[in-house]
Amino acid sequence: MEIIEENQSGINIYKLNGRLDSNTSQGFEKKIFQAIDDGSKSMIIDFKNLDYISSAGLRVILKATKALKREDGKIMLCDMQDYVKEVFEIAGFDSFLPIVGSMDDALNAF
Amino acid sequence: MAKNKVSFKLKSNLSELDALCQKLEKFGQSKGLSKKCIFEANLALDELFTNIISYGFDDKNDHTISITISLQNDELVFSIEDDGVPFNPTKVETPDLECTIEECRIGGLGIHLAKNLMDEVCYQRCNDKNILTLRKNIKETETQKKRVKG
Repeated sequence: MEIIEENQSGINIYKLNGRLDSNTSQGFEKKIFQAIDDGSKSMIIDFKNLDYISSAGLRVILKATKALKREDGKIMLCDMQDYVKEVFEIAGFDSFLPIVGSMDDALNAF
Repeated sequence: MAKNKVSFKLKSNLSELDALCQKLEKFGQSKGLSKKCIFEANLALDELFTNIISYGFDDKNDHTISITISLQNDELVFSIEDDGVPFNPTKVETPDLECTIEECRIGGLGIHLAKNLMDEVCYQRCNDKNILTLRKNIKETETQKKRVKG
């Protein structure tokens, strides 16, 4: 999985490209938690080019959301393909994770 | 005409997830299965395979996990066979899906996903092996079946 990192008005943006599974989730977790340790409180995860997510990927997203909440920070998830979004729905995560349609919607939430 | 059945063996290592995905995609594409259907089958197999690797073996030895994929009369049938400790994932408790983010626990989630994405998940212990049989009606997949939570 490729992770493209950008920063826009102090918001850390992670664009995921490929597959977020048990093999790739650890690298992603490391990156996100390094940023949180460095003081980042605003994050957007762009799912536009993510083709696949498993429970290992959900685990990282949940962990990051909890960590940011503790720091009074905020995370937004955007632009998921239908079948990726369905995984969040089956897991019941869509009820408490902020999932929006587009990057603009995500940016506007800050 | 592509074969209706493929069998292959994977090592007990998470790096084999890529091989699992490739085998499944190749089979699915040869049968004209939708991207969504291949995705859902991939996820169910991934979760059960990952579970076996993570909890199935109480030694450091290499093990082999045998997978069979077949398509018969609009039904996809998968079998996953391992020689690990006896473990029946169909008996794992479903996580509480109505929880708040603070209460949310991730345990059992992978198996919950697998059960939801398949029409049937059956477990057998036979000749010191765990055998999982998964069934998925591919006609139903195309017609957005209603998900039942819990």
